[in-house]
Amino acid sequence: MLAGAAAIFGLVMILLGLSFRNRRSSGEEAGQIRVWILGLGLGFPALVLGALLAYGLVIGERLVPRQGVEAVQVSAQARRWEWRFTYADAPALETTGVLHIPAGRPVDIAITTADVIHSFWVPRLAGKLDAIPGHTNTLRLEADAPGTYQGVSAEFSGAGYDGFAFEVVVHDNSGWAAFLRGQPE
Amino acid sequence: MRALERHRKLSAIWASETGFRGWFSTVNHNDLGRMFLFTAFLFFIIGGLLAMLIRVQLATPHSAFAGPEIYNQIFTMHGTVMMFLFAIPTFEGLAIYLLPKLLGTRDLAFPRLTAYGFWCYAFGGTMLIVAMVFGIAPDGGWFMYPPLSSAIHSPGINADFWLIGITFVEISAIAAAVEITVSVLKYRAPGMSLEKMPIFAWYALVTALMILTGFPPLILGSVLLELERAFGLPFFQADLGGDSLLWQHLFWLFGHPEVYIIFLPAAGVISTVLPVMCRTTLLGYGWIVSAALALAFLSFGLWVHHMFTTGIPHLGLAFFSAASTLVAVPTGVQIFAWIGTMWKGRPELHLPMLHILGFFVTFVIGGLTGVMVAVVPFDWQAHDTAFITAHLHYVLFGGFVFPIFAGIYYWLPHFTGRRQFFRLGELAFALVFSGFHITFLAMHWAGLLGQRRRISAYAPEDGWTTINLISSVGSFILAIGIAMILIDVLLHVFTARRSRRNPWNASTLEWAMITPAPAYTFASLPQVSSRDPLAREPELATTLARGEGFLGTPRDGLRETLAVDSASGRPEMHVLYPANTRLPIIMSAVTGLFFLSLLLKFYWIVPLALAGVIVLAWKWVRSLGLRDDPAMQPVGHDLNLPSSATVERAPGWWGSVFLLTANGTFFAALLFGFAFLWTVAPGWPPPVWFTPSVAELALGVAGAVIAPLAMRRAIRRNRAGDAPLFSVLIALSGSAVLGIACAALMLRAPAPTEHAYGSTLLVLGGYGLFHAIIAALMGGFLARQIRCGYTSAKRRAAFPIVALWVKYTSITGAIILLAAHLSGMLS
Amino acid sequence: MTEIFRILIAPLVWFVSFSAIYGLHGVLCETGPGAFEGWPVQRVVLISPVLLAIALQVVNLWMLYQPRFTAPAGLLRFVSRAGGWTGLVATVWTLFPVVALSACT
Repeated sequence: MLAGAAAIFGLVMILLGLSFRNRRSSGEEAGQIRVWILGLGLGFPALVLGALLAYGLVIGERLVPRQGVEAVQVSAQARRWEWRFTYADAPALETTGVLHIPAGRPVDIAITTADVIHSFWVPRLAGKLDAIPGHTNTLRLEADAPGTYQGVSAEFSGAGYDGFAFEVVVHDNSGWAAFLRGQPE
Repeated sequence: MRALERHRKLSAIWASETGFRGWFSTVNHNDLGRMFLFTAFLFFIIGGLLAMLIRVQLATPHSAFAGPEIYNQIFTMHGTVMMFLFAIPTFEGLAIYLLPKLLGTRDLAFPRLTAYGFWCYAFGGTMLIVAMVFGIAPDGGWFMYPPLSSAIHSPGINADFWLIGITFVEISAIAAAVEITVSVLKYRAPGMSLEKMPIFAWYALVTALMILTGFPPLILGSVLLELERAFGLPFFQADLGGDSLLWQHLFWLFGHPEVYIIFLPAAGVISTVLPVMCRTTLLGYGWIVSAALALAFLSFGLWVHHMFTTGIPHLGLAFFSAASTLVAVPTGVQIFAWIGTMWKGRPELHLPMLHILGFFVTFVIGGLTGVMVAVVPFDWQAHDTAFITAHLHYVLFGGFVFPIFAGIYYWLPHFTGRRQFFRLGELAFALVFSGFHITFLAMHWAGLLGQRRRISAYAPEDGWTTINLISSVGSFILAIGIAMILIDVLLHVFTARRSRRNPWNASTLEWAMITPAPAYTFASLPQVSSRDPLAREPELATTLARGEGFLGTPRDGLRETLAVDSASGRPEMHVLYPANTRLPIIMSAVTGLFFLSLLLKFYWIVPLALAGVIVLAWKWVRSLGLRDDPAMQPVGHDLNLPSSATVERAPGWWGSVFLLTANGTFFAALLFGFAFLWTVAPGWPPPVWFTPSVAELALGVAGAVIAPLAMRRAIRRNRAGDAPLFSVLIALSGSAVLGIACAALMLRAPAPTEHAYGSTLLVLGGYGLFHAIIAALMGGFLARQIRCGYTSAKRRAAFPIVALWVKYTSITGAIILLAAHLSGMLS
Repeated sequence: MTEIFRILIAPLVWFVSFSAIYGLHGVLCETGPGAFEGWPVQRVVLISPVLLAIALQVVNLWMLYQPRFTAPAGLLRFVSRAGGWTGLVATVWTLFPVVALSACT
């Protein structure tokens, strides 16, 4: 996408630059309209944007959670300024500021808020999804490898917004089982 | 009469009072345009200083420059000032100053309204700045999302300043938009058909129509949020049947068109200036007009792309992703039409042209990153990061500030009658251009590295330190550049040499006059026969000064002009303008008192202020009445035109049509809010439904039906020479009955503070009641005019205007009553 | 006013149908999923107004090319036809996701 944008930018700049050449005025106005407006103004953007739109929608469609997949269910509730996580597989467990999930399995995170609007964002695992009062938004993500990932809240929420971050700890199978039993390694 | 004598006589008629006292009583667009632009640039400087503070804060990690409380006010005010107090008013000022000159007429349609709009803007803007000086400025970000901005999470007065101050300022936007629309459609030189209109007028028309339909959702949102904050009506509280997403819809329904409301006038400047700089004419005039119109419409289908991360289903997002890519096509048409224009002509690198090149580079990059964020998966990552901040600055600075600088340098000789002398402008441009790109290219990068927007501090280990420092250094280069432009302009105003007329050899009418522009603008009005009048008649200015056009003979100290048929430009009526008056400033001060007493919760003053507004409005319209039937007015060239008091569709009728367009959008947004809460908000159904009453409904609807019918009868009787008074009184009573039904609805709305359903009914009823009162007042005013002999079969212009308002009141009132009673019956 | 109306009608119809179908989609998804011969109910319900919107645009465009309804020659005719094309293209372009994407997830 970036390369394409750079190419288009380059093209426009070259056309701009060439307009300063010394030359005699060229052709009929109708012909100029055909080239500049119909060709470059209408046709070219329509083509590029159509392709880009199709690409974006296909990718987006692939990110849509498929039904019928067995996903791990967790809940994330935001409040100013901490995240609390609960786990369907271990109802008694609640963690604050750290979300634990297993690796290699799809996870559905039900995102809610107790006060204002927040946004759940773990850049390396998925895009943002907002926590909106009265609504539950579900984010499907899947971490390939165990490890620790940084997450932040990405919707301005007042004075404590700067440091409003959390961590996602991704466990391998045994680690996840141990966590659910309440005995982290 | 010689040209000089004509100049003296016309100047005496049109001039404002001398000295600073003239500022308060002027209604002349020449003064008000300059006052708008000057004030807007003061706010630009304030907003720019705030931007500097932001960059100081972010220059180093763990910055201790300002704490989050202050920093949140700074960035909120930076966005608010730049959007509402700089960008929109700059367009208004430029359009107010230029349009009559481009269109070949003497002033805008409603001079007192121009002045009223200016003072509302000045007072409202001052309110916000005063709040900032006292450290109680809004701090919830410029889009003020509830519940962060609701009473629970923002208990202070800060958010109220935003909601009330901005609504006050919006009055000026709506006033200017009505003004510009009617002026472009009706107030042009004879012979100037839509086809021969200068391209800037098309852009101004499209922009004004967008303001009329884009701003009302925001005004509604602000009203609802303020009602929630002040009186606990829970429109945005999820636990009481409200929904904070409603605010986001209303805000962005305004917010996205706003971007194009800012860009289109700038595009108008480019389309005007660029061909002159290239010694040619604009390529594809019809295409550009069509592209501007398409852009205006498509921009209303993008609002949800600001809400891609709110959990809307993928298909819903896809609609808006598609619309967001599509909007780039008409933008592309304009860009390539401009480049084609450059190829067609011989571009010369004058100062305005440099800024236009700056526009091309910056805006194209902004457009391309805009297309990127229109792609949903990319937006999910980029949303609310510095990448977005950088993108929007590319679009707004590239798409507005550079073209406006181009316009300022282009029209400076017109404002001052001088030519550029010092060569500071080129250096200033170089600094602005390089400073801007250093600042915001770096910011894109910081955003891609994960820096969120609106944070006040970050840690060294985040790895953003160098980038932010570069960005801050760039921003200071930019600031120095802008300061140099200001100095350059001041030097120009005070020291440069006198310029010859039309220094750029432009072909549009604003150069067919002496500069600086005289108070009366044109000594006589031209007959226009082409899109480039000055190219065809280079000596037009002299011809007009000699009084060889229309209305060349000053009469009886009257400010005269003529209005034309909107499509063909055929002269249609003779118009008299009001002279200097302090009424607008007093009226806006009383309007300000109304807003201020709401803000400070001195509710007992509110009815007093409202009564004051009504009295002043009464005075305002009363001065338009004529005692005797006017004769046909001679306008020169053996042409006689009817007076505007004797036509079916007077300027006031046109103004009402467009004001009601804005009003209707407000009402539609309110109905949308009702439907949205009902279907989407959690916490529905409400605990108690409205108890429908057939009697109330029937009574109200009967009033709504009778009122417009009676007005129609009044118009017919008046035209036939019969007494219309009784019919007008019937219409007045019909509106009053409708008002009573709406008042009953308000009184019986179930527990307005406990569920959004009741609060919505309360607001709907209030809307109906408010309009019923206006309709009744207008009916009363008309009845008085009839009794005192200010109307006749010929002097009939007031009737259709009142009929229009009565009809509007009836339609909206009936819808309100039906919506409320049906919702009760359905449950 | 007719001249202005002729220019604005197509994009206006687009805006109304676009918002209405978006709103309809939101309401359908709130009321819960269902299926109709392998197609989700939402899609079946959504496709018909999309077709209607496209039909309206085609009829309008056709009228703009008929001597009886079209604007007087020159700029106004050109701009009103451009408006008609804008409405049609915008309708197809922004509403085609209805047939291509999953309905409510």
